Amino acid sequence: MGLSMKYTELQVTTNFSFLRGASHPEEMVEQAVAFGYKKIAITDRNTLAGVVRAYAAAKDKDLEIIVGCRLDLLDGPGLLAYPTNQEAYSRLSGLLTLGNLRTEKGKCHLYKSDVYEHSTGIIFIVIPPDSLTETLQLEAGFQHQVKEYKQELGSFLYLAAIRSYQSDDHKRIFRLAQLSKELNVPLVATNDVHYHDPARRELQDVLTCVREKCTINNAGFKLHQNAERHLKTIQEMQRLFRQYPEAIENAAYIANCCQFSLSSLKYNYPEEITTEGRSPQEELTFHTWQGAKERFPEGISKEVAEAIAKELEFIEEMNYAPYFLTVFDIVSYARKNHILCQGRGSAANSTTCYCLGITSVDPTKFELLFERFISSARNEPPDIDVDFEHERREEVMQYIYNKYGRDRAAIVATVTQQHQKGAIRDVGKAMGLSVDTVNRLSASIWEFTNEWFKEERIIEQGLNPEDPLLRKVLQLTGQMIGFPRQLGQHTGGFVITQGKLSDLCPILNARMEDRTNIEWNKDDIDALGFLKIDVLALGMLTCIRKAFDLAKQHYNLDLTLAGVNKTEDPKVYEMICRADTVGVFQIESRAQQSMLPRLKPTCFYDLVIEVAIVRPGPIQGDMVHPYLRRRNGEEEVIYPSKALEAILKRTLGVPLFQEQAMKIAMVAANFSAAEADELRRSMATFKLKGMVTRFQKKLIDGMLANGYEEDFAQRIFKQLEGFGSYGFPESHAASFALLVYVSCWLKCHYPDVFAGALLNSMPMGFYQPAQIVIDAKNHDVVVREVDVNHSKWDNILEEKVGAYHAIRLGFRQIKGLKEEDIELLEKGRISSYKTITQIRDSGVSQSALERLADADAFRSLGMDRRQALWEVTALNDRPIALFEGQPSESALESQVSLPLMRDSEHVVQDYASTSLSLKAHPVSFVREKLKLLHILSTKDTQNTKDGVLVKVAGLVLVRQRPGTAGGVCFITIEDETGFSNLVVFESLFEKYRKEILHSRLLMVEGKLQREGQVVHVIVQRCFDLTKLLRDLTATPNDDLPLLTLSRADERSPFPVENKRTQVRTAVDKEVFPPARNFK
Amino acid sequence: MSICFPYLNTDWFSLRNPELAARPLISAIAVRGRKVVKAMNSVAAAEGIQVQMPTADAKAIVPGLEIFDDQPGRDLKLLKGIGEWCIRYTPIVALDPPDGLILDISGCTHLWGGEQAYLQEIVNRLALKGYQSNAGIADTIGAAWAVARFGKSSIVEEGKLFDSLLPLDPAALRLDHNILQRLQKLGLNKVRSFIGMPKSVLRRRFGEGLLCKLGQALGQIEEVLMPLQLQQPYMERLPCLEAIKTVKGIEIAIDLLLEKMCHRLREEGKGMRAATLTYYRIDGKVGKVGIGTNSPSNSKVHLFSLFELKISAIAPGLGIELFVLEVSKVEDSILPQEVLWAAKPGLDDQKVVELLDRLTIKVGASIVHRYVPDQHYWPERSIKQSSAIQENSGTEWNATQPRPTQLLSQPQPIEVSVPVPDYPPMLFRYRGITHNIRKADGPERIEREWWMDEGEHRDYYQVEDEDGQRYWIFRSGHYSLTKAQQWFIHGYFA
Repeated sequence: MGLSMKYTELQVTTNFSFLRGASHPEEMVEQAVAFGYKKIAITDRNTLAGVVRAYAAAKDKDLEIIVGCRLDLLDGPGLLAYPTNQEAYSRLSGLLTLGNLRTEKGKCHLYKSDVYEHSTGIIFIVIPPDSLTETLQLEAGFQHQVKEYKQELGSFLYLAAIRSYQSDDHKRIFRLAQLSKELNVPLVATNDVHYHDPARRELQDVLTCVREKCTINNAGFKLHQNAERHLKTIQEMQRLFRQYPEAIENAAYIANCCQFSLSSLKYNYPEEITTEGRSPQEELTFHTWQGAKERFPEGISKEVAEAIAKELEFIEEMNYAPYFLTVFDIVSYARKNHILCQGRGSAANSTTCYCLGITSVDPTKFELLFERFISSARNEPPDIDVDFEHERREEVMQYIYNKYGRDRAAIVATVTQQHQKGAIRDVGKAMGLSVDTVNRLSASIWEFTNEWFKEERIIEQGLNPEDPLLRKVLQLTGQMIGFPRQLGQHTGGFVITQGKLSDLCPILNARMEDRTNIEWNKDDIDALGFLKIDVLALGMLTCIRKAFDLAKQHYNLDLTLAGVNKTEDPKVYEMICRADTVGVFQIESRAQQSMLPRLKPTCFYDLVIEVAIVRPGPIQGDMVHPYLRRRNGEEEVIYPSKALEAILKRTLGVPLFQEQAMKIAMVAANFSAAEADELRRSMATFKLKGMVTRFQKKLIDGMLANGYEEDFAQRIFKQLEGFGSYGFPESHAASFALLVYVSCWLKCHYPDVFAGALLNSMPMGFYQPAQIVIDAKNHDVVVREVDVNHSKWDNILEEKVGAYHAIRLGFRQIKGLKEEDIELLEKGRISSYKTITQIRDSGVSQSALERLADADAFRSLGMDRRQALWEVTALNDRPIALFEGQPSESALESQVSLPLMRDSEHVVQDYASTSLSLKAHPVSFVREKLKLLHILSTKDTQNTKDGVLVKVAGLVLVRQRPGTAGGVCFITIEDETGFSNLVVFESLFEKYRKEILHSRLLMVEGKLQREGQVVHVIVQRCFDLTKLLRDLTATPNDDLPLLTLSRADERSPFPVENKRTQVRTAVDKEVFPPARNFK
Repeated sequence: MSICFPYLNTDWFSLRNPELAARPLISAIAVRGRKVVKAMNSVAAAEGIQVQMPTADAKAIVPGLEIFDDQPGRDLKLLKGIGEWCIRYTPIVALDPPDGLILDISGCTHLWGGEQAYLQEIVNRLALKGYQSNAGIADTIGAAWAVARFGKSSIVEEGKLFDSLLPLDPAALRLDHNILQRLQKLGLNKVRSFIGMPKSVLRRRFGEGLLCKLGQALGQIEEVLMPLQLQQPYMERLPCLEAIKTVKGIEIAIDLLLEKMCHRLREEGKGMRAATLTYYRIDGKVGKVGIGTNSPSNSKVHLFSLFELKISAIAPGLGIELFVLEVSKVEDSILPQEVLWAAKPGLDDQKVVELLDRLTIKVGASIVHRYVPDQHYWPERSIKQSSAIQENSGTEWNATQPRPTQLLSQPQPIEVSVPVPDYPPMLFRYRGITHNIRKADGPERIEREWWMDEGEHRDYYQVEDEDGQRYWIFRSGHYSLTKAQQWFIHGYFA
């Protein structure tokens, strides 16, 4: 190593020191490599969050990352800390953990004494004050503190010298050199790097303003006076410190001492997972075969046995047994406590996992997915996500904490990134724009593409795109997007270790009580090869478990996920093909429903495809229609090449799954596995925009070179882009498809059980209770209203009426009712209640009674809601104490006659209280008037011929503008006879915006379009008929509670025609929970 | 009489932005992190916008919607303003937040020719001023309130109270939201449907509130007004029995006025920064003279001395019959601590301040300046003029980064002989004189304030020549081996 290579930058603040550093760790690494550094340190403030990023970025480069951290102490000057070996690293991590857990999230309180306790093996550099005193001395306090540090830390202490081009640089460093000599604390040169390039000073100033809550115009001396805190070349640093060559040498010396690298962090699986002295592999083998016997009571087929043997062999080779066992342990706990769960992910869909009960997807039923696991496991750790019932997931999490202890189990972090809206808000505010202008700007913001803001949009907002200030704001916003903003808590990713977790990584408090998480996110964990288990919540599992319970209770059936899935029931598929899927998992949305009759699923694998196909990836990549055509035999199944046939065979030559798209990149464009993975990551997080373009070129050029058509290559890229944020790997789709099948099976055979369970799991899914109830009624299930003498908190099944049990709506449907009140009510209901006073006497609160009256729940006492309310309100001063039980004074009142309520009024009130009415559909009351206007009912439209001009009206149920549909708005309206699907094209949408967004009762005129069984109305004109509904109540009222908007409805703001963000919002709401990104 | 302003907030905004008056306009406030509609104008209301609607929704419904931020308390301020204006119609005006006023008009209406004309006059005048309003007149506050907002006719004749309430909404009785909801659920949608019920029945179900409000509307329960207090401005009048023509007379008048005014200011702990003396002459002409001070003052002697300088500007003509002294700018004055024996140095010395005032009045305000440090690194912007003599800019002069005593307003180019890279020059020539540099310190690098201007940074050096004179010089831009750089001198140290 030549003399010129001596210097090592030891003080680098990345943007993981939130609102201080102005460059990504990756950018620092790139710049350091360009300047010929062999080593640099990363020293963020009281955190190690940025180190892993830098480590990962430097992995395949000629650069070593020194792990370090800047400790900001509450009672002393700041210290830079560098662990020299692994034990020292663990101590540093422990020190930060101590500081983190002492205080709330986002802060770290450390004292000098803590540092002394953890100091062994750590090299420290003390950071001097920025300036000298008036008499050109170092502050006496500082000198004193350094003396103390020296006593405690001895030869591991150094003193930083920073040339920041203040006017007093020479004097300051002279004084520091004096101090250094006096106390024998060697001087070290650093440059206090805050950005990789001087041009980032502007952004750093803005960050300072955000941090200090001021604007650039009044920030004053809170900013720095120059841009010198960038990474400088080695030569420049040597020149600046030419009078103090020892300071440069010391930097090199420290760098040399720090032999610790993140790669030496060894992750150890917990030991508790084995029993009877078996090794993990033996334990896994044992449980697998035992499970196999239970799963295949009729005997283990040769095929299965071979698969198990092969898988176990592979698991042994990769040493993954402890991982599978850990998941097995959690799943066993859930099973023991009757918490329904279902695993997914590449590793989950294996025969082993099936035998262990982690998943219920029978791997023998379709092509083994394990092959794909093997191929992906070569370059990334295994991945099993386990979904649990959403109401009971917390129990599972607490089980993990209790079993392994809080010092060994913690949740992975998620780094919240600065998104465009937040970035423009922050930058705009810091630059002194008015709130109004910032709002306009953020409204005009497109998405982060290369031309991510368009001049037209800016002009539209009445702003001048030529304005230099505005340009600057937008430019800085572009830089700020993708910056980490805070560490959040991952939805359920756990890290569990054998030793103390804080030896590996600092732990911090999460915002939620009783939760702790680590500083690193899942990518970091991946990069270091730690085990992670996702414990997720899924509403549908709650519903299915409740349905299983009801089935047991009323039909005496013992159902399990795997059991239901054992056979393929043609009746279920028939129902699915009819798109009769209100309420079932995943395929209930309007988009899915319109796909079902076209796809006509007839087997389990079709469901897997169905789940994956209606997603932004395939839609954006324009893969849906080719697939449909090929499936229906309208197009020949051809493969772009022989090599791709193997990949695309299952999906008729059309890539639908995320793994396929990545495989294509590898096979057709010569990507390495690591590159393909990097490509996906760069798309999932749009932080490094340059990379996306680079990959696009590489992919398309690569494919062209291999003889593929450009069109195909472009589509593959587009699809990858769509997958980036919301991709669906086949293994996840398979696990979801299982739940789809189970929920459909329940709905098909036991609609009473299914509807009851669904209502008891609300809120979830796509539809409101009103639609679930209407759907149940359509399937010959009797639904009865809430009643104080018959209902319970949950919806229950009563005696059989016809084929099915009747559903009695529960008190949970009533808005604002508390469970405690209902407990009292149920407890007091020894025999039927005869009067309201009896209910009051059982302890039910006055307000609860009013709510019950509003819900019309006193019918069995012979009172309608109005009479009941009249009675209830009088109970305020009922006789108490001595006179308890005596008739209330109100009983002696002269009878007051209240106005009679019309049916329509009752319906409106039903909606107000329970969001549904069993009495009638609101639209039925205006049917006569609609008829006069020649408006058809939705049922009539079903029997109308294609191409006929029709008028149809109904309550608006869903309005969606999926970004994949080019500005088309899909609306579903509902009347007493059923649903109608409306299609509004973009130009019309703009014209009828108000009607579409504002109407409760929407009437449209348009052409009927019939495609197989699917009927749409292509809207030509819209009318707001909400006024007709006014007469439903005695006083004309525009603000009727007749809202039936689905949870998937895109309540405004209907975003600007922003394709990408819309994809997100639409999909986000459609799936529950949000789709997992592929890993 | 009750007046309500349905579009108070937006009317105010339209007045300031007349081009928006015909556009849909709303004001918004943030409620739990999201913006909701606080108020809207009639155009927006007609488009279907409602209060409490999230602004995002509102924007979706009406794409061209104009939105401005509401400031809490603005409504009240506006009401107060309008209320004060209304005092011309009756002395007793009370605020009726959030959107109304109550006027006690007993014995006032005949001046305008009856109640109808009176009401019309007020509503019209308000409309002219840009505020839409509805008004109602009745025997009780409650009934007036009700008809102003819900009634078909706006005047309730005497004895018709009960009848006038019957067809109205229950909301006209100023009832709680809860009670209104309950009434609605019970189908009691008009006052008429429950006004006749026995009191005990109503009380049991709706509480005392309903009975109280009903009683107030019917005049069975009294309701009192809190009249709006008009804040007294700082003004003193001195009518003269005889017209004044002499300087002495004017002096006495000023003295008398100041006496009263300064007394009042002292009582309130205030001091004046600016005042105007208006004099009304017999011939109907009006004249004015004004004074200003550098710091708030309530010292009669000092203020008099300032006016004294202006007396020559007063032209009494045939004589002055009225003097009015108005203080247009008042600030809190810190009572000077009575300090014995100690004379305070510099700006804390009252004498110096008073001298400065006199100088300013004599030679003009643009001559005397005081400079304070400003929070800018860029030297040209690092100082600013203070607006008041005692102003405390909150920034200290930086002791560790010395700045020259005399800073040139424009840096002057110099020729230098300088080694690279960033060493100070060995000599420089300025105005034909060569200065050999013996000692130097630097560089201090100062970057442009990028949000204001663009350009090269400066590397400043403090240099001392052979005569021991020190200069502040800088190189514009980074040193370069290839390109010649321009050097400048920017100041002299003492």
